[in-house]
Amino acid sequence: MTTIAHRLIHFLRRDARHFQIVFLTTFLVYGTLELQWETEWARYALLLGTCFLVQAFFIRAKGLPWHSLKSAAITGLGLSVLFHADHAWVLVLGAAIAIAGKFLIRVRGKHVFNPGNFGIVATILLTGDAWVSPGQWGSGPALVFLVGAAGLTVLLRVGRIDTSIAFFATFAALDLCRTVLYLGWGTDVWAHRMMNGSLLLFTFFMITDPMTTPNSPWARIAWSMLIAVITFAMGSFAFVHTAAIWALCLVCAITPILDALAGGERFAWLPGHSKSPLHAAPGVASRIEQRIQAR
Amino acid sequence: MMRIERLLPIAAFLAAGSASAFCGFYVAKADATLFNDRSEVILVRDGQRTTITMSSDFKGNVRDFAMVVPVPTVLQRSDIRIVERRVFDALDAYSAPRLVEYWDENPCQQWRYAIAEDMADMPTAMAEVRAPAREKKDRDHGVTVEAQYAVGEYDILILSATESNGLKQWLLDNDYRIPTTAHEVLDPYIRSGLKFFVVKVDLERMAAGGYDLLRPIQVRFESHKFMLPLRLGMANSNGVQDMIVYAFTRTGRVECVNYRTVKVPSDRNVPLFTKERFGPFYKDLYERSWKREGRNAVSLEYAWNVTPSFNGMKCDPCVGPPPMTNELAEAGVDWAQNGGGQVFFTRMHVRYGRDKFPQDLFFQVTPNTEHFQARYILTHPATGDLSCEAGQDYLEELFYKRTREMDELYALTGWDLSNERDYMNEVKRKLNPQRRNDLDAPLLPMDGPDGGGPGLLVLALGMMALVIGGMLARSGRTLINA
Repeated sequence: MTTIAHRLIHFLRRDARHFQIVFLTTFLVYGTLELQWETEWARYALLLGTCFLVQAFFIRAKGLPWHSLKSAAITGLGLSVLFHADHAWVLVLGAAIAIAGKFLIRVRGKHVFNPGNFGIVATILLTGDAWVSPGQWGSGPALVFLVGAAGLTVLLRVGRIDTSIAFFATFAALDLCRTVLYLGWGTDVWAHRMMNGSLLLFTFFMITDPMTTPNSPWARIAWSMLIAVITFAMGSFAFVHTAAIWALCLVCAITPILDALAGGERFAWLPGHSKSPLHAAPGVASRIEQRIQAR
Repeated sequence: MMRIERLLPIAAFLAAGSASAFCGFYVAKADATLFNDRSEVILVRDGQRTTITMSSDFKGNVRDFAMVVPVPTVLQRSDIRIVERRVFDALDAYSAPRLVEYWDENPCQQWRYAIAEDMADMPTAMAEVRAPAREKKDRDHGVTVEAQYAVGEYDILILSATESNGLKQWLLDNDYRIPTTAHEVLDPYIRSGLKFFVVKVDLERMAAGGYDLLRPIQVRFESHKFMLPLRLGMANSNGVQDMIVYAFTRTGRVECVNYRTVKVPSDRNVPLFTKERFGPFYKDLYERSWKREGRNAVSLEYAWNVTPSFNGMKCDPCVGPPPMTNELAEAGVDWAQNGGGQVFFTRMHVRYGRDKFPQDLFFQVTPNTEHFQARYILTHPATGDLSCEAGQDYLEELFYKRTREMDELYALTGWDLSNERDYMNEVKRKLNPQRRNDLDAPLLPMDGPDGGGPGLLVLALGMMALVIGGMLARSGRTLINA
C-alpha cells in the first residue's frame, strides 16, 4: 500500500501537469455524477480525442517530444468542464482550434493564447453554436475548498500563485466596492458571487497556465489585474456573464508586449530547462531532465 | 441505493425511447393548486429585448392588491399590455410534468398497444405589496412619477427614486404596505438605476369589464439585463416560494447563470398506483430533488422546439396541444407569425428563499436545443392467460421489474411503501408454485430516506487529501535533506 502511495506521489511530483490532469478529471467526474450534469461522456471523448489527434499531428510535424500530449490532455479536460455545443462538429472545431492555435499563433517561439480559452472564444465567434454555462458549478464554500485546495497544490508547484491572487483579489475588491459599498447589497450577495465555481475554476486553472502568462512576475501581476478589471467591467455594466473568458483572450494578445518589455525567464514544464528559481522545484526528478526537451 | 438511483434512469430512458413511436393517449389533469405560494412568469428574450408577463394568484380582496416590480427602463404605454390568463394555462398544460402509460403485450397471445398519460400542472404569485386603494397626495421624497397609465383594470405608475427611505415613505404615504424585507433591496435597485413599476386595481373599471380575476400584466423593454428581480418579493427569511418560468427564445434553452440549472428526475418507471396520486407524487419528487440539489438550484422541467412550422415531434407524448401562433404572440413571442424563425420553449421551476437565494436570478440564452421533458412511466401488465412457458417467464420478469419500480418510487419520493406489497404479490400469485419459490426475496421498503448526499464530494476531497498529503511528505523530506 505504501509502495503504491509512494509511486503515486512520485508520479505526481515528476511533472506539475500530472496534478492538473488528476484534478481536472476529479472535477469532471464530480460535476457529471454529483452535480448531475447532462451525461455527455461522448462529448468528453470527442474533445479529448480531437486534442490528442491535433497535438499528435503537430508533434510529428515539428518533431516535438511526445510528453507534450499531457498538455493536450489538460486542454481537452479544461474544455470538457467548460465548453458546450449541440453538434459534434462544433466540439471538434473548438478542440482543434484550441490546439492548433497553440502552434500557429506564436511570438518569439511562445504561444500567445491560452489554448482552451482561445478554442472556446473562437468557436463561439465563428459558429454562434457553442456556449459556456457559468452557473453549472453553483456557488458555495465546498467548491471554494475543493477548487482552491486543488488549485493551490498545482500553483505552488508551477509558481503561478501570484497570477491567481492578483486576479482574484482585484476582482473581489472591485466587486465588493460595487456590490456592497456602492449598490448596498448585503455581503452574502457578494460572497455568493465570489464563491461561484466557474469563477474559482477560472482563477485557479485557466489564467494560471504558465505557458501563456507573462514571464516576469511583475508583468504577470499587472496582466492578471487587467483581466480582473475587464472581467468586472464587462460583467457589471454589460451583463456579460462569461466576461472572464473574453477578458483573458483580449489580454493574452498583449502578453508578447509585456514579455518584450519586462523580460523574465520562460516557463518549462519539466525542471532543468528554465533558469528561473521560481519554477525550479529543488531536488525533483533530476534523472529525467536530461532526456526530455521541453516544447 | 444511490448508485441504483443513478443507473436506473439510463435503463428507463432506453425502454421509454423504444416505445415512443406509439400513438393514442388520454390526459387527466392533476389539481392545479399543487404548489402554494407560487407565481408564474413568461419570459421572452429576443436580442436585448425582454418581455415579461406576470400572473398573480392573489387571493385576497382585489382592493388590497398592489404590486411593485423593478424594471430597467421607464416603460411607454405601448410597452404595457394585459393578457388573458388562458395563455398561462395553455403553456402550463403543455409543458407540465407528465405521466405516460404503456401496456405490456401478452407473450401467450398477440395484442395491440396503447398509451396514456397524465399530467400535473402547477400554477402561480409575485412580488407583492399590499395597498388600500385610497389615493393620498404625495410629497415627493425624491420620488418622481415618470409615467402614469390606465391599462385595462389596472392603474400603473412608473416611479424613479433617489434613495430608499424616500421611496419607502412615498409608498407609505400613498397607502402601500411594503414587506419588511423590502428595505434591504430598495437601495440596491435604486442604485442600479432600476425604475419601479407600481400597479393597483381600479375597481370600477374591473367591474365594468366583467372580470372577476386579476389578469396577467405584460411589460416589454430593451436592456442588457436578462433577469428576474426576486428579492423584492421574498417573504421572510424562513419561507420559500415557488415560481414557474416559461421562457422563449429564438435560439435555444434559457439557463440561469448564477445558480445551477438542473433537470428534474425524468423517464423513471414507477408503479401503477402512482397514477391516482400523481399530483402528490410530483410534489414530493420535486421537494426531494430540490433538497438533494442543496435547495439552491433552478429546476428544468421542459425544453422543446415549439416553432409552429417545426415538423419534428412536438412532445413525446403531448399532454396538451402545442402553443398556437396566436398564443405565442400573446405571450410576447412576436416573431412566431409568418414563419419568422425558431421558437424554443424552456420551463423552469424555482423554489427560492432568502437564505439560499441571496442574488436575483440572472439568465442567459444558449444555443442548446436539446429537448427535455419531465416524464414518468407506468406499465400495465399483460392480461389473459399467462400459464404458458413464455407467460411464466414474463411474470417472473414483471416481478423484478415491479421491484425496481418500487425502489424507484421510494428513491424519488421517500414514500412509505410497506402497505403496497400487494403490488408485488399479485404477480407472485400468478406464477406456478415452483417458480414462485425460486424468486429472490424483494427488499421492501428500501434504504434510509436519503435524497442523495455528498458521497462523491467526499471521494473527491479524499483524493485531494491524498495528493496534498503527498506534497507535504515531499516538502518534509526536502527540509530533512536541507
